[in-house]
Amino acid sequence: MSDDKYESHIKAVLSECSDADPEAVKLAFVKYEEEFYIPPQDALRSIIRRFQGEKEVNSPSTITSNQVRSTKKVKALSELSGEDRDIEIEVEVISHNVREQTIRGEQKNIAFGLIEDNPWGEGTQRTRWEYKDWGPNSNITPGSVIRIEGASVNEYQGRMSLNINQSTRIAVLREGTRPVNDPGEPININDLPKEGYVCLVGRVLSSRNDQIHRKDGSGSIDVVRGRIADESGTIGFLSWEPFEHEVGSLIKIDGSQVRTFRDTPELNFGRTTKIEPYHDANFADAEKLNSQNVMTISQLTDGSRDVETIVQIIDWEKRSFTRDGEEKHLWSGQIADPTGKCRMSAWEELPIESSKLPITIKLKGVRVRAWQGIPDITVDGADQVEILEQTPWDDSIDLKEHIVEVDLDEVTSSSSRVGISTEGVVVSVRDDSGMIMRCSECRRVLKDDECSTHGSVKGTKDIRVRLVLDSGRTTASLLLNKEASLNLVNMTEKDMESEIKSNGQMEFVQMLRNKFLGRKLKANGRSIVDDQGAMILAESSSVIDEESSLIATEVRAKWGVN
Amino acid sequence: MQATRNVRRQPAIHILASEFGESTLNEKGSGEFDPSFVVTKLGSRINRVIVAGLLERMEAREVSNGSVIYQGQLRDPSGLNYFSVGDYVSDSVKELAIEFSSKLESGEPILLMMVAKTRLYQTDEGAVYTSLRPEEMCIIDTKRYATWLARTCDAMMVRMTNYTKSLDFEANMESMSKSELPLSTIKGLIAARNHYGELDLEHYRLNVMQALDIAEGKLESASKPLPQKVDIESEVEENDNQTNQDDLESAIIDIIKSLDQGDGVDFETIIVNSEARGHQRSVTEEKIESLSDDGTIHEPAFGWFRLV
Repeated sequence: MSDDKYESHIKAVLSECSDADPEAVKLAFVKYEEEFYIPPQDALRSIIRRFQGEKEVNSPSTITSNQVRSTKKVKALSELSGEDRDIEIEVEVISHNVREQTIRGEQKNIAFGLIEDNPWGEGTQRTRWEYKDWGPNSNITPGSVIRIEGASVNEYQGRMSLNINQSTRIAVLREGTRPVNDPGEPININDLPKEGYVCLVGRVLSSRNDQIHRKDGSGSIDVVRGRIADESGTIGFLSWEPFEHEVGSLIKIDGSQVRTFRDTPELNFGRTTKIEPYHDANFADAEKLNSQNVMTISQLTDGSRDVETIVQIIDWEKRSFTRDGEEKHLWSGQIADPTGKCRMSAWEELPIESSKLPITIKLKGVRVRAWQGIPDITVDGADQVEILEQTPWDDSIDLKEHIVEVDLDEVTSSSSRVGISTEGVVVSVRDDSGMIMRCSECRRVLKDDECSTHGSVKGTKDIRVRLVLDSGRTTASLLLNKEASLNLVNMTEKDMESEIKSNGQMEFVQMLRNKFLGRKLKANGRSIVDDQGAMILAESSSVIDEESSLIATEVRAKWGVN
Repeated sequence: MQATRNVRRQPAIHILASEFGESTLNEKGSGEFDPSFVVTKLGSRINRVIVAGLLERMEAREVSNGSVIYQGQLRDPSGLNYFSVGDYVSDSVKELAIEFSSKLESGEPILLMMVAKTRLYQTDEGAVYTSLRPEEMCIIDTKRYATWLARTCDAMMVRMTNYTKSLDFEANMESMSKSELPLSTIKGLIAARNHYGELDLEHYRLNVMQALDIAEGKLESASKPLPQKVDIESEVEENDNQTNQDDLESAIIDIIKSLDQGDGVDFETIIVNSEARGHQRSVTEEKIESLSDDGTIHEPAFGWFRLV
């Protein structure tokens, strides 16, 4: 390394700390660069601070401007004075106008208008003030009632107004103008909301009469169930009214309600739903739509009906149980396709011999339940099953050992899956990682030696590590079982226990952070996805050793940065 | 329909200090529990970040209610991230803050990685600052730092490319939905373009190039000699003086005098330049106010100052 490389930087340090040794300063620059990858211009300030050392007289450490913030909550605007800086109030927005203004060289939208206090009172005296919104907050709409938290009062020539800053929180308590979906404008099945009234155009793929039995035993209701498809996807329907459109016909449905049963959306046709034939010669035909109706295991969701799929049975066993004094049988086992694994149960004996496994079958009209997040295909009758001679996929894949590599974003957006492997950056090591006590009855984690259902019990020791994997777009929590935890941390159970005992839980978790935070991890196992987000239960997990220069070269090539 | 409470964890964005620090737009959902986001110039909506760099400053400050907060600066090749560790953070972050600050005092360099929540705040004067609230931190080695840099560059290039692509469309939902941009990015892009106006991406590109050099271990090309006249030298002159207040006054006047192109100088520029001369942000803020009050400077437009 050339001697004068740091010349200008060393000079800068010396002019600041005249009695520093130039050689020592230079060594510091070398150290920052070689040991910490910090180029001299970035290390400069740190080095100056270091050589100034104790010489520096510390500036006063109490900042007067940083006063304790105490929010002043008021009911009426009249309770406020011109000095109030942090107030909270509920108001109705009377008007809202946006105007463009140049602030610090940037075009900004500033909103202003009128608000009235006492928004819930009927006919009572209301005070009206002007406000200015520097945000501007998109959720301030005329007619809405909002709670403003952290606004300040402005008094100018005796006129009072409210300043809503960027740090102000606006909570909408009552929506002003409701956004209305265009009625009569059809949307793709794939884009249907989980709940709400919709309009769509689709082809009837199946339709059959069914009955729903009232739970109180007061009788039953005749309904029609079936499936409708367009090129974007398929969806099941339930009609409470007579439905006479034939299979294969193209219809426009307006005013149908989407309801989500378990994890599966379903269209409901009622008295107000308008269904009429639709004409579009270019609309995909039934054959094409039927072929896309065939689902893969990765697409199965809890509550699906009329499912068509091709799977391979990996293991299969008969179980017996007694219900109402009668012995009943249930057959169940593990099934797989190239997208993953799940379970299947049958209430009738199927022509499946254990010795001939794996066997590939085609299922039609089956339904899906999920157990602990894992889809379980229910076969109600043997006529729903057709045994195939060949697999439609490359039969050299051994599905029993097959682990499907799934992008983290796909894991978080699809339903629960088994037999997957995914990758993500560790952005959190949970504080409860390490040794835990489980209830000996139900395996729940004990809190202060207490189980939430079984009370004070003697627990059994277990080990786990809880992390969060992140793709930059979505996140999933990752739960490692004992074996996976010990392997990842590279410790024996004994070592871990003594480590936690001698250094403490906090120090142990920090050790894990030092090891894993910001690193990419691969996890194999299964996923559970629900409203709370995605969780991966891993049987094994390992750090992906990344070479920064390789990634950098890739980035240069990919984006043309040279 | 009832608004569903969004309990899903927000992802952490790999981001360089320059992109985050230049943000002045906040986005809050309308629901009670909606997360808030900082929207960067590139249209990234960020609630949480994963950042790394050299810990340049870590100081305890006593707030007037008696509790102690730690304020820190994290330097990456593009600039500084400001963060603060207050009462509300986890014990482990608090303990690390104490540990780091004493380590730093002893002159030991610290390469730090942190996952942090983003925050944007506005002073009554209207200036907007970014800040981070660390959730988890750890000391890292150069290998992990270099990997982070490389990944961050990739993430920034994705954002820059999306931004450039978006320019073929109007900054509204109707036009933008015709683009092939991922739906998840469109909302932020529209908000950013309407808020920030036209952008020059060149300095982000330079940041990326420099960060890539470091990620590849080419420190030589990432090193820059200092320009002849740097802030540091003026810092020397300033620090040699005793009367800090007069000093600050002349510094502010000097800054405005030399930077005023006719429209005045904006608040943030004054603060940053004054900071480079060794004056604390809060002190400068107060001084600007008092200079404005006694008529030395005036404010022709909101947030812009000129000499009288």
